[in-house]
Amino acid sequence: MATEVPAFSPHVPSTELRGSGGLTPPGPVLTRFFGTPGLYTLAVYRDHGGYRSLERALKEMTPQEVHAQVKASGLRGRGGAGFPTGTKWGFVPADVPGPRYVVVNFDEAEPGTTKDRYLVENCPHQLLEGACIAAYAVGAHQVWIYIRGEYDHPYRILLEAIEEARQQGILGERPFGVDYPLDIQLYRGHGAYICGEETGLLESLEGKRPQPRSRPPFPAVKGAWGRPTLMNNVETLSTLPWIVEHGGQAYHALGTDRSGGTRMLSVSGDVRRPGVYEIPIGVTFRHVIMELAGGPPPGRQVKVFWPGGSSAPVLPASMLDVSTDLDELARVGSMGGSGGVIVADDSRCVVKAAARLLRFYAHESCGKCTPCRVGTDWAVRTYRRILDGEGSSADLQILDRIQASLQNGRCLCGLGDSGGWVIMSTMRHFRPEYEAHALRRQCVTGECERQGAADA
Amino acid sequence: MALSARAIEEIRSLPPRFPHLRSAVPPALDIAQEELGRLTPEAMTEVAEALGLDPGYVEGVATFYTLLHTQPLGRHHLYVCTNLSCTLRGAEEICHHLRRLIGVKEEREISADGLFSYEEVECLGACEYAPMLRCDGRYYYDVTPQKLEALIQGWRQEAGNGD
Ligand SMILES: Cc1cc2nc3c(=O)[nH]c(=O)nc-3n(C[C@H](O)[C@H](O)[C@H](O)COP(=O)(O)O)c2cc1C
Ligand code: SF4
Repeated sequence: MATEVPAFSPHVPSTELRGSGGLTPPGPVLTRFFGTPGLYTLAVYRDHGGYRSLERALKEMTPQEVHAQVKASGLRGRGGAGFPTGTKWGFVPADVPGPRYVVVNFDEAEPGTTKDRYLVENCPHQLLEGACIAAYAVGAHQVWIYIRGEYDHPYRILLEAIEEARQQGILGERPFGVDYPLDIQLYRGHGAYICGEETGLLESLEGKRPQPRSRPPFPAVKGAWGRPTLMNNVETLSTLPWIVEHGGQAYHALGTDRSGGTRMLSVSGDVRRPGVYEIPIGVTFRHVIMELAGGPPPGRQVKVFWPGGSSAPVLPASMLDVSTDLDELARVGSMGGSGGVIVADDSRCVVKAAARLLRFYAHESCGKCTPCRVGTDWAVRTYRRILDGEGSSADLQILDRIQASLQNGRCLCGLGDSGGWVIMSTMRHFRPEYEAHALRRQCVTGECERQGAADA
Repeated sequence: MALSARAIEEIRSLPPRFPHLRSAVPPALDIAQEELGRLTPEAMTEVAEALGLDPGYVEGVATFYTLLHTQPLGRHHLYVCTNLSCTLRGAEEICHHLRRLIGVKEEREISADGLFSYEEVECLGACEYAPMLRCDGRYYYDVTPQKLEALIQGWRQEAGNGD
């Protein structure tokens, strides 16, 4: 089986676009030109003002001035942790001689998350421009884009875009005539969720088994190949051209006090219009799920949703009015995460859904820490017993113990916590469903019986 | 199975592209897998020798990743996403149907004609098109049993007419 990449095939436009490029009007920042034919080309991107922000940064701004705008923007990382971008940039030491890198995290493997692919397929140059702006701000000349191996099409689009930018001299020795050499290289992943975790990614980029490193030292100080490294998510970086053009304040004003700007949400599962939507931060999940994504299928009700990828603790339908603000989500016990909104309607068994996700975390655990390696596997076996009608109250206690042992710094990276949160949050909000399954061998939705009948 | 001289040559040319040699291992494994269809123990040893690394190291990297295969696969290997968003939209049914269509009982089993095998994978980042699958470097969106059947038929015909 050769997943070979054919020599450049003509661009297959992703105009089966779902979300803000197709079904709903483009959003205010990242998707403002989406839907424009040929936006993925350098020419069309430049017609829409593309690369003017990079030119301006290089010619008219100091790195400190760029950094100040990003701080003012209130931008927080869109990869999952929501860490303030301006603060993170400040961790990259200014005075270390020798190479330093910007690494773009385009691993996008968090279940339910598709926004980075959507951004790159539609407007690859926006990412390249943003990455170059970040490189200038932290004093790097070399950008590495780590792209998950399954993303063949986005890989080709990026190759082509980088080539175009080189031909135009935007990448090279003197971008816009300024003596600030810039280059971008692509590095393909080979299928492992843990490569999205920042230190797992660095290990992978260095050609090692991608097992996360303990921190400190943090990547900002000792990252790729031991050098100071700034790592940001695709969406985080794609936002920079707009921020440089309009100013950090203007960006901040689009969102909430504590979470500036807009963000991309990928909505999937039981909704009528699954898609990728750019929203001003602060709108409610009711707006996102019921209006933008059209709500659940006819005759069904929303039952539960994951507000930020499978790793974000679930929220029940009674919390649809929660805001997309990151701090609000934290206050109700969840997180903004990767912006992958997964919706399940009232025909779905929560226990079965949680079991599926634990299978994911068990499969993707890199095995370095015992609580994660053993705990996720144990959870899978416990869920299997419960779903097979062989559960007991002891199994519920086991799940409870596993989720506690996965959390709060007992694991080296966030994967362990994430598995724990799936168990914890589904048990917290849907305890009666767990009890019906484990103690009375009943699926309250009937989904598991229907499934069993179909399998037989 | 051994690698061609051209593949070895290509692998040897990789290291200068990276700040450190080891970063060349995964791309080198790509070259080997592309040529042989999978990573045989000999191929991994040859990759290691070409890069001046320990074979055990190379194997350790190769066996971590789902896209690198040490076992033979069908000519068209289908990666079917079965994570939550796809399962909510019928991925289980798609897998069931696929097994029937290509006549296999389980993942990674090769169909009798050698054309197909499949594997259930985690989220492929295209949930708005669920259920979806990836094959031969392409994504297939909004998969239905009918579309799947047409796809498999198409590949069968191609194989019948082609070689
Ligand atoms: C298990 C795990 C998987 C992750 N996967 C991704 C990913 O696919 N893409 C991403 O950008 N960040 C991912 N992250 C978050 C990164 O570690 C890191 O916080 C992020 O790339 C930083 O960029 P940002 O500040 O722009 O968000 C993951 C984290 C964990 C713990
Ligand atoms: S928490 Fe899990 S995935 Fe993360 S380093 Fe530990 S074992 Fe690996």
